[in-house]
Amino acid sequence: MAKAVGIDLGTTNSVVAVIEGGQPTVIINSEGSRLTPSVVAFTKSGERLVGQIAKRQSVLNAENTIYSAKRFIGRRYSEVQSEIKNVPYKVMAGANDAVRFEIAGKQYAPEEISAQVLRKLAEDASKYLGEKVNDAVVTVPAYFNDAQRQATKDAGKIAGLNVLRIINEPTAAALAYGLDKKKNETILVFDLGGGTFDVSLLDVGDGVFEVRATSGDTHLGGDDFDKRIVDWVAQEFQREQGIDLRKDRQALQRLIEAAEKAKIELSSAVETTIGLPFVTADATGPKHLEMKLTRAKFEQLTADLVERCVGPVKQALSDAKISERDIDEVILVGGATRMPAVQALVRRLTGGKEANQSVNPDEVVAVGAAIQAGVLAGEVKNVLLLDVTPLSLGVETLGGVMTKLIERNTTVPTRKSETFSTAEDNQSAVEIHVLQGERELARDNRTLGHFRLEGIRPAPRGAPQIEVTYDIDANGILTVTAKDNESGKEQKITISGSTQLSKEEIDRMVTDAQSHSEEDRRRREEVEARNTADSMAYQVERQIQELGDRVPLNEKARAEQLISQIRELVKNNSSDVSRLRQLTSDLQQVGYGLSSSGPAGQGPQSGRPGGPQPGGGDDDVIDAEFKET
Amino acid sequence: METSDEEKNRPPGNESAEIERLKNELQREHDLYLRALADYENYRKRSDRERATAARSGKREVILSLLDLLDGFDLALRHMGDAPASITEGIDALHRKFLGLLQAQGVTPMRTVGETFDPQFHDAIGLVENEEVAPGRVAEEVQRGYRWGDEVLRPARVRVSG
Repeated sequence: MAKAVGIDLGTTNSVVAVIEGGQPTVIINSEGSRLTPSVVAFTKSGERLVGQIAKRQSVLNAENTIYSAKRFIGRRYSEVQSEIKNVPYKVMAGANDAVRFEIAGKQYAPEEISAQVLRKLAEDASKYLGEKVNDAVVTVPAYFNDAQRQATKDAGKIAGLNVLRIINEPTAAALAYGLDKKKNETILVFDLGGGTFDVSLLDVGDGVFEVRATSGDTHLGGDDFDKRIVDWVAQEFQREQGIDLRKDRQALQRLIEAAEKAKIELSSAVETTIGLPFVTADATGPKHLEMKLTRAKFEQLTADLVERCVGPVKQALSDAKISERDIDEVILVGGATRMPAVQALVRRLTGGKEANQSVNPDEVVAVGAAIQAGVLAGEVKNVLLLDVTPLSLGVETLGGVMTKLIERNTTVPTRKSETFSTAEDNQSAVEIHVLQGERELARDNRTLGHFRLEGIRPAPRGAPQIEVTYDIDANGILTVTAKDNESGKEQKITISGSTQLSKEEIDRMVTDAQSHSEEDRRRREEVEARNTADSMAYQVERQIQELGDRVPLNEKARAEQLISQIRELVKNNSSDVSRLRQLTSDLQQVGYGLSSSGPAGQGPQSGRPGGPQPGGGDDDVIDAEFKET
Repeated sequence: METSDEEKNRPPGNESAEIERLKNELQREHDLYLRALADYENYRKRSDRERATAARSGKREVILSLLDLLDGFDLALRHMGDAPASITEGIDALHRKFLGLLQAQGVTPMRTVGETFDPQFHDAIGLVENEEVAPGRVAEEVQRGYRWGDEVLRPARVRVSG
């Protein structure tokens, strides 16, 4: 079964992602990175290099190293004059005014170059997944015209890929946030990448996206912000030391890297230090650079770049004939949107709306493309809908505690069984109280339902085995079954809507449990102490009955005294845990003495009785309340 | 319920179409099931692999950050010309010790000058005239590159003879 991948074929970098087990995963390329530079080089020896490796040799071979092919794909030579000025390789007109790159005397179409990038991404994906990748969804900017889309599709074909669909980058970003499920909403996608800025306004309804307006700046991105830091540091250094670092290729390289690092740090810290020891030297000796850069200073240096984002957003709104108040959702795409100043600007332009940014902004487009690929390949339909139970599900057991069978956040469908037993001798029926919630005591949780299983054969408490099964299907429907293993009698209840709580309700229940956790834990401890004590009393009492006359009178009296003390405390719901534990332990000692005094004795089994803790006995039987009626 | 409505509205005697529909549906569901199973299997295999390499990749991060410090030594030593011999020797000894520590972890500096330029290992920052080195070979090392076992930990930054 071949996998379909989603590819964000970017101007500077590309990303490939896939749906795995219902979840999108970004694929790590063969160089160990999540981003692959969209760079292709043809070496003098006739080799083709793609990605990071191509980038490393670009200065030696600039005329044969193609980057930014996306700026040319599907366009006429006459349209791209301004782009040609920015690139060191040779761009010329082919037949029908098509753009061609001339490399070592041969002509290549931009789609052939993009095909090399796509092929590398698909090969790396195949390696990662351990299976051949043939199908892909590829993204393009919303403003791409038919020719540009067709050329991108052709690039996929040349790469040997079956392009399932070409989708818009902002649409992919919206898919990554599941916004296709929204009804009649307007979405603003703010995409500030390495070198390009795109604004798109989308309408979504019935799973269909419509592009209302697009705008942007084809030469504005994160790299411009780095350059501002470089220039500032270089100017300061020149003022102090009289040396222009930008003239020293090696120093400049180090400075550019340090600037990018500083920019990233300033997204989380308010101050950073740019430190480059031995950055350069003059006749007086080596020079060191160490400068503090505050976020405030950085924002001052880049304020005009941030302001350049305003125009396109306003333009898109006016083209779509809507106001900022009509925007329902905002999505941030591109690494540069991590900058606090950019986020503040987006808030300002959208009337204070909080943007969606939980998905890595460098990867969100590829993630959305992967989701679309999964849908088209038919694997997302069911798998992606896999839900989790928002709250734990359990049953009430002895002493009014909740014993959880299914923990919250378990992925459904799921099924869990545990065996319980009776709390009284000759108990003929058990009551199953189905609970939902996170609190320790049954009464603090939500009741989903009740039912009784009757017809249990008379037996000492703890002997019957009642298997309780909780089963939640993929639709969130809970079926609780109780079965008496001996008689085979079975009773069940089906509860739908156990997961249909509002988010607020769920959050409240979880927070409640957290705030009461200490008190709940204490109360549960009390219940368990009483259960254990009561069970010990029961066992020793039975032992005395079985042994009859063989029990020495003084020991019998001691045991009976302890039993009556325990019964008294249990009856009064005593919260004196330490006294209950002391009495239990004393009685256990007496019980051991009894078992050694007579042949029939087995001694009380300490872990096993009464309490609802699982794993008490070898058969994993849990004794539950299952009150007698 | 949609399906029961469909069933009610369906004219009698159409069982074979119904069987066909159910067969297709079963086939589709079975396919989804196999996919989920395969995904899980592949995921499990990869997480096994990743667990095996997790320790290594954690170490990789730390070693990479130490290389910055090592670069500082390289730069410092280049500027030692006028410093007293006692200082130079001390710094040099510190540098060797540091390099030794990394070497014990399997980190080795790459050979560069005189080698044929290879973008697998070298990151070119420029071309230089150099009569002693044949064109296309590395003429100058600007920043050392390191291998870690078979892996390129960081490519060397070089100037190539033009």
